[in-house]
Amino acid sequence: MADYWWDVIDPIQSVLDGMMFGSIYALIGIGFTLIFGVMHKINLAYAAASIGGAYASLVAFQILSAPALVVFLCAAAASGVIGYIVYICCFRFIPEHLPLATLMASVGMLILIDEVVVHATAGMPEPYPAMFDDVMIDISPFWIRGDLLMIFALSVVAMLILLYVLYRTRLGIATRAVAQQPSAAQLCGIGQQQTNAVTFVITGALGGLAGAMVGASVGILSPLLALPLTVKGLVVTVIGGLGSIPGAIVAGILVGGFENVFQYFRGVTERDIYVMLLLFVFLTFRPQGLFGRISTRD
Amino acid sequence: MKRLLTIAAAVGVAMSVGTTADAADRTVKIAGFGAMSGVVRSFGINTDAVMRAAAKAINDAGGVKLADGSMAPMEVSFDDDRCNAEEGISVVRRIASSDAVVGVGPTCSNVAEPLFGILQAKAGDEGDSGLQFPIFTDTAIKGGLAKISEWAFRNVPNESQMYQTLFEWLASEHPDAKSVYGGVEEDFAHSRFTWYKVMKTRSADAGYEVKGEAKWLLNDTNFTTQVRAMKRAGADVIAISAHPFTTCGVLKEMARQRVEYKVLVGLTSSSSLETLNGCAKQAEGIIIPTSFAPVNPDAVAAADAAAALGGSADLHSAAAWEIMMILKDVIETAGIQATADSVAADRRAIRDGLATLKTTKGLLGEITRTDEGEAVKPYVYVHAADGTWAVLHDPNT
Repeated sequence: MADYWWDVIDPIQSVLDGMMFGSIYALIGIGFTLIFGVMHKINLAYAAASIGGAYASLVAFQILSAPALVVFLCAAAASGVIGYIVYICCFRFIPEHLPLATLMASVGMLILIDEVVVHATAGMPEPYPAMFDDVMIDISPFWIRGDLLMIFALSVVAMLILLYVLYRTRLGIATRAVAQQPSAAQLCGIGQQQTNAVTFVITGALGGLAGAMVGASVGILSPLLALPLTVKGLVVTVIGGLGSIPGAIVAGILVGGFENVFQYFRGVTERDIYVMLLLFVFLTFRPQGLFGRISTRD
Repeated sequence: MKRLLTIAAAVGVAMSVGTTADAADRTVKIAGFGAMSGVVRSFGINTDAVMRAAAKAINDAGGVKLADGSMAPMEVSFDDDRCNAEEGISVVRRIASSDAVVGVGPTCSNVAEPLFGILQAKAGDEGDSGLQFPIFTDTAIKGGLAKISEWAFRNVPNESQMYQTLFEWLASEHPDAKSVYGGVEEDFAHSRFTWYKVMKTRSADAGYEVKGEAKWLLNDTNFTTQVRAMKRAGADVIAISAHPFTTCGVLKEMARQRVEYKVLVGLTSSSSLETLNGCAKQAEGIIIPTSFAPVNPDAVAAADAAAALGGSADLHSAAAWEIMMILKDVIETAGIQATADSVAADRRAIRDGLATLKTTKGLLGEITRTDEGEAVKPYVYVHAADGTWAVLHDPNT
């Protein structure tokens, strides 16, 4: 194939890869946005808890030799538990009128989880199981990584389940009620604290799945992952619109795609500059993000 | 008379007991420091274990001979600098205010560079108020740092020489391999330095055509674009200058994209347990020059002693073992007092002793010391084979 064709094919391939990987950002973004939607608070420990859950699932992989799918589910379960602990430590007992206190508490929790992981593993990268990691789907001249496609599919399934829970179950109704009218929800007998706790557990499980997907896509886990995932998750949340789940999904995939485009054309050292510029463009010209509303709560 | 003799005897015994107690109280304090937290924590854990293992070996053999002929044990402490320049400087200032006679560290080059800057540049320069505290570095490997201060010494391998001979050897062993493509962790000082200043130039010197390089960052997780560029370049030799986490990520992506190459070369720091732990299968065959491998009884003994204390001897931490042995010899030759009043004089004596060394004993053979406080260490080429590091070639033989 002539060289100039590669100049066309390569950027398209980069976008495809980035969008696939962006589904992980979408999962993280959903976690941020759901907690914000329900509590109007940012949980900065969210991505660290996701990686913490993925690390915890290594017990199933390394000691019990469990198959990859079971390891992923263990990551979701462990991260759900960590999510509950984060809620109890950083949100449950801090008065609602002190949003900065919860924010700083979650920053402290981010560092704490990161350091616990580092101390438990001595900072060593740990191999993480993957599914279909040796499968390459050839759609000449493009190809799709089997494991990334699986991650994309798993992320979509997780998002659909979440949307079902939110819009088709009593738990979802309670969650949305607390998000929209917390006082009215309480008057209707919906336990606000209980709903908040369940939200942290559900988003934690979703985050654990995202952490597992990151580990699966690279093939190894490292404590280095928590901070960049936190940043990307926040970018996705803002671009998608704070509190909007469809926004987080679309923004996650967009950010993943743009990231690879910027990297392809401007190099890895400038990549994040442009991602941040994209964030500033949204904050300036569309602060409510793609799907967010200016005000959704009394 | 009898009473007088009894008193005299008692005084004599008391004096001799006092003298013995003084000698027993004296210890030669060596202050280790490095990364014990963060993602490079394993480096600090290994250096700490190796230093303690070396001190135990020295103490079991009687300790260190002081200026007055008495023997004193070596005592090792280890502080965490978190691989952070400000923290490293703070740790060393704290150590320098204690009675430690020498510091061993740091782990990271980004700590070593500014840290050496706060030391007195020229020993004995009264116009320079810099810290007068000898520091002997085991891990921070970025080239040419010891020349910053005459109080700074390093026992790290000379990467420039190692890769020069490696690429020359590869050229003779694989005459069909004509081109090189690099992979570099752009935001890590050591990785950048080693690719741009060492691997790239040395491979070109050895006659290879350098076809370019793929770049990524230390905490990147997606390497598809970079590896595609690598595949398109179609180079015979792939040289990866990155630490284990991204090295493994890239190697796995290379396997997925079925990148074909004749020779795979890695960064010195990747010849460690982390790489094998993370991606033994994909790293199979990668060739790395290293200044440590358990290839003789001394090296095996050092590795075993470190393992007994929960550490792993690799090219970085094994240097700490050599440093402890060098310090023992220097202290015995320089004749230090190891008392509270002699700390400054002892530090100066150790610095002067280190500065005069021309050769020292290393675990793989004789180490040559340069006038700039650097070491020229013997090394071997190892490759990943069946999940372990095996010696592929010894350029000294």
